[in-house]
Amino acid sequence: MRTIRLEPLTRVEGHGRVELLLEKDRLLEVRLEITESPRLFEGLVLGRSFREVPALVCRICAICSSVHRVAATSALEKALKVEIPEAARWVRELLLLGGHIESHALHLFCLVYPDIAGAESLVEVLRRDREDPIASGGLALKALGNQMQSVAGGRTIHPVNIEVGGVLKLPENARLEELDEELSRWEESLPDLLSVFASGKSYPPSESIRGVHLSVSPTAELSIQGESLALSDGRTVSSEKYKDLLVERPVVYSNARQSGGGEDLFLVGAMARRENAVRSGVLPSGSASRPGGVYENNAAQADELIEAVRRARHLVRKIREVDPAAPLKVEARPGPGIGTTVVEAPRGLLIHQYALDDMGRVAAADIVTPTAINQGAIEQQLLADLQSVTSPAELSDRAQQIVRAFDPCISCSVHLLHISRSS
Amino acid sequence: MKQLRLAYVRFTSCCGCQLTLLNCERELPDLAGFAEWVNFDMASSRRDDKGRLNAVLIEGSISRPEELDTLLELRRRADVLVAVGACALTGGVNTLAGGDRGKLCDMVYQSTAAKKTTFPPQPVSRFVRVDLEIAGCPPEREEHLRTLASLARDSLPALPDYAVCMECRQRENRCLLIEDDLPCLGPVTRAGCRALCPSFGVLCEGCRGLADEANRGDMFRLLLELGLSEQEIRARMERFTGVFHENYPS
Repeated sequence: MRTIRLEPLTRVEGHGRVELLLEKDRLLEVRLEITESPRLFEGLVLGRSFREVPALVCRICAICSSVHRVAATSALEKALKVEIPEAARWVRELLLLGGHIESHALHLFCLVYPDIAGAESLVEVLRRDREDPIASGGLALKALGNQMQSVAGGRTIHPVNIEVGGVLKLPENARLEELDEELSRWEESLPDLLSVFASGKSYPPSESIRGVHLSVSPTAELSIQGESLALSDGRTVSSEKYKDLLVERPVVYSNARQSGGGEDLFLVGAMARRENAVRSGVLPSGSASRPGGVYENNAAQADELIEAVRRARHLVRKIREVDPAAPLKVEARPGPGIGTTVVEAPRGLLIHQYALDDMGRVAAADIVTPTAINQGAIEQQLLADLQSVTSPAELSDRAQQIVRAFDPCISCSVHLLHISRSS
Repeated sequence: MKQLRLAYVRFTSCCGCQLTLLNCERELPDLAGFAEWVNFDMASSRRDDKGRLNAVLIEGSISRPEELDTLLELRRRADVLVAVGACALTGGVNTLAGGDRGKLCDMVYQSTAAKKTTFPPQPVSRFVRVDLEIAGCPPEREEHLRTLASLARDSLPALPDYAVCMECRQRENRCLLIEDDLPCLGPVTRAGCRALCPSFGVLCEGCRGLADEANRGDMFRLLLELGLSEQEIRARMERFTGVFHENYPS
């Protein structure tokens, strides 16, 4: 029995490692270990006023800061029974779409593309050829996502415009106009730029993915927010009942607990969103030339980028028509309640739940992140895809690519309070 | 201009500082020309050759013994150590978990608690000499770029140590504190962000930490006059200055 330890995992967000346990060159077991330092966010918000929470929890993760901020405010609004103005909902959705575009572009171009180009990093790609069309196009797309977050959220990382009750400011008209033009240019050029990620030729072979696909119930081509959860086995579960579905499985070797469905293995992310949207008929099924196995996730992110740009353009126009005197925020009075929000972070399903006491202080908080849910599926995929690989160099290379394709967000996964399992 | 050997290493934090560098989308091709990233896990698969570094950028606070070992090793290898972001500078929001960490760890890790080693998050300067501070949660792109450009010319930039109000007034913004009675922390917060949030119309949350000689006492009184409770003021003023309050009994 020997162990190959891949540490650190690179070109992923956060610190982790993979251990491959082999016997006579046959892969027996795989462990994904999250080595990121615990941050204790669910403990950190206890006893604090609901007003403090959004600015704190967005610091769980920079790349996902917009979606954490919106998820937290929306869950708190449900707890306090506050209905926010329509215009505020549009601004928030624009922020979320900006987050998806930035995160997907970062993942595909900065983290995945170097594998396709045979380089160790995007910086190396640029050192070889500073005009590399895919690299420069990808960086410009990433900048678009940041521009959207800055226009809607006031800042590209840790947005300030979102508070409990609505939003603080309507984006400036001049900046919206600029964004509208920018988005219309992207609508035309995007499919060409992304074609490299949609082709099976860009990736190594991969076995079909394990696990039940889990996402917010799709109602449109890109459903980010919703009130219930859809599963690819046909079940639908209302958002407040998520705990019936997701059983926490603590793992001794990892600083993040795994979230799974008891015996079921769940899979979240762009691939799961797409699968569930196809199943429910809001999306047509794809062509046979799509990449197989886990690399389908990269292709699904590429599809979402196109849809996100289209949807963002529509929203920008709606926001431009908002009467500047229209209300953007309603007063939220402190009080008791429980609120749960399910939302699609770029990397998959994110759940925030808060219980508030009579004074509106946090009595309990639960945050379930996509990577905590995907941990089991990542391990299974590594085991399935690497069965016939024997060279240590290739094992290492392929394992890193598989983990990368899941687009794990390790910072997010260790925000947790409970990390346990006796060994 | 000299070719730089650099590392960007992250400890207990959210990735926001490293992401800020990757958010310099327009400048990355130029940076690639003179900066070689010997260790930057989030962006590169290159294996650290453990050789000499012109500079290391550090994101995050130190909360585990392994992190401290790595920090000391990097300090030995690097001519210049730059601490980036609120977590590295003061411990940042990580310090707010507070309380008795032993108890929290027992609760969190239960029977495996004894095997997990973590201590209250500390700023980098508690353990090693820091040659330059880039403040902010998140930090600014421009301060990253100025730092790298200066390093390539064998120098360090002079980053602002005065208050956000200086920049806010220069931009002729409406004063959110005086004219709108909002609890804006501009007067005590370190500048360098070009008063980003107040220019958007949203109050300063103090994410860049304290300005030089910040008058926190008067800031506290001003906020009391606005009608905020003592508890609320503390919560606002302590969010990003964590370590400063470690020595104050609460």
